[in-house]
Amino acid sequence: MMTPTQELIGEHFFKPRNVGDACEPSFVGRSASLKCGATVRLSIHVDEAQHVTEAKFKVAGCSVLVASLSLLTDELKGKTTAEAAACGQQAEALVEYFRSCDAEKSHCAGLAGQALLAAIREYSNTVRQEWTGDEALICTCFCVSERTIEHEIHQGELQSIAEVTDRCNAGAGCRSCFSLIQDMIDDYWRERTIGASDVGTQ
Amino acid sequence: MIYLDNNATTRVAPEVLAAMQPYLSEFYGNPSSAHSLGRNMKQGMEQAREEVASLLGVADTSEIVFTSCGSESDNWSIRGVLATRNDKRHIVTTLVEHEAVRNLCALLEREGYEVTWLEVDHNGELDLDSLRAALRPDTALVSIMLANNETGVLFPIEEIGEIVRESSNAVFHVDGVQAVGKIPIELKNLEVDLFALSGHKLHAPQGIGALYIKNGITLPPFIIGGGQEQGRRAGTSAVPNIVALGTACRLAQEFDQHDRIQTLRNRLEDEILATFPNARLNGVADRAKRLPNTSNISFEYVEGENILTYLDQAGICVSTGSACHSTTRESSPTLRAMNVPYTAAQGSIRFSLGRYNTEEEIKITLNALPKIIAKLVEMSPYEKELQTIYKARSTAQ
Repeated sequence: MMTPTQELIGEHFFKPRNVGDACEPSFVGRSASLKCGATVRLSIHVDEAQHVTEAKFKVAGCSVLVASLSLLTDELKGKTTAEAAACGQQAEALVEYFRSCDAEKSHCAGLAGQALLAAIREYSNTVRQEWTGDEALICTCFCVSERTIEHEIHQGELQSIAEVTDRCNAGAGCRSCFSLIQDMIDDYWRERTIGASDVGTQ
Repeated sequence: MIYLDNNATTRVAPEVLAAMQPYLSEFYGNPSSAHSLGRNMKQGMEQAREEVASLLGVADTSEIVFTSCGSESDNWSIRGVLATRNDKRHIVTTLVEHEAVRNLCALLEREGYEVTWLEVDHNGELDLDSLRAALRPDTALVSIMLANNETGVLFPIEEIGEIVRESSNAVFHVDGVQAVGKIPIELKNLEVDLFALSGHKLHAPQGIGALYIKNGITLPPFIIGGGQEQGRRAGTSAVPNIVALGTACRLAQEFDQHDRIQTLRNRLEDEILATFPNARLNGVADRAKRLPNTSNISFEYVEGENILTYLDQAGICVSTGSACHSTTRESSPTLRAMNVPYTAAQGSIRFSLGRYNTEEEIKITLNALPKIIAKLVEMSPYEKELQTIYKARSTAQ
């Protein structure tokens, strides 16, 4: 007797959806595990409105990983990259889902999410570099500019990326802007410290 | 169902079932009892002992002791030898032993024993000079298997026994579990002190094993209790299982179709290696140096577990030595010791044939594989590597 989870895995393993490579220009994410030897390549094609129009994968890994990738890529079509990033993060929920039936297999689903997030980060980095708007773009998933983030940090005296995300969504998606947001927080607090010591010497 | 996983376990032979059945119904009684029911059980057990001794080529039946499984026989041998040789704390074994030996030796190493782990080459073969070099005056035990469970590669225990005898005072233990019933064995002609076997690998049920203890070797009991098995192994004798093991040994000795199985294995192996450019044999190519029933083949750059699952769906049972190994998620230690590349170890499949396999079954298996491998090759992210191998093959042809 198969559980619903086993049936779903079986269905997606024996007839995996979206095997292959997304059409060009595509953004590619990879993940691998030395522990189990699995290798994943996931590619997405994104339209001008920032919607994922195609998500495909190639894999050498266990049946749970194949099924996870099939399920995950099926979910992505039509989603914005921000929504897709949320799916990638929710692959951690998928991990929980598999853990309920087979604890050993939980990390496999995680590999699928990692590859997706890596693909979206590649997309985000490219968009950020090619951005020609008036204000520098930091969070491409939620289209948050440098000025907005700076403003939020100043206003709220924010100290962590999580606080920035809470205020303006920046960093809630693929997380490729984490280091940039951290730099902005560090800059703000460095300037404040210098400013304070300047006051002290007067 | 096409069962090509006979190294994992075997189907109970109908003759074995028939022989053990009376011992589960009309024959009962404790073989240690003095009354007629008990004596009847004892008689069945002693006949089984003779049948086991005969298959192993053992002259004195009292050298055979019944245990619960191969792992017990291995564990008892190793711990027993060490218990009697307090002054010697060095063990020699190989990197490719079955877990019953490998994991126990690793545990003993953590407990303070010194273990020399002999390596194998890319064919899975031992270098006997490294064995010679490993032997020392304080070597208590040498434990080396006869046939590798994953690759079927045979170790030359005749020669190894002589080396151990000439160059040390060590006791020589052989894990013979995977070889018994598949190749002829004459223990009386070998310098082997302890030899473990397991019933379920040769068509007896699971839960019965035996240990050959050469006359002159004393092992303290592993299980403390009554005086069964001449005081060597306590616990009420599992007579139905023992009778089953005896019958299985007799059947194995009478079996005259080893050539047929070997021919089927050869055909399966030859055709797979010829058909799939990404297929490579794990284990020495010389078939005289491997079990006649085993073929371990890697399908490079695809996942063995996927092949297993697809074959299972097609009603064909095999094993894989690759990822998500039952508990460790690591690729097979045997293949790693042989330096099989990671991307090949991941795609390894063990085909192990048995007495009930037919030519038709091998045909069906060979027909099922191309579709499965093609599907997985298409899914593999190693396109470049696969293209290179496939191109090389088509140029060669």
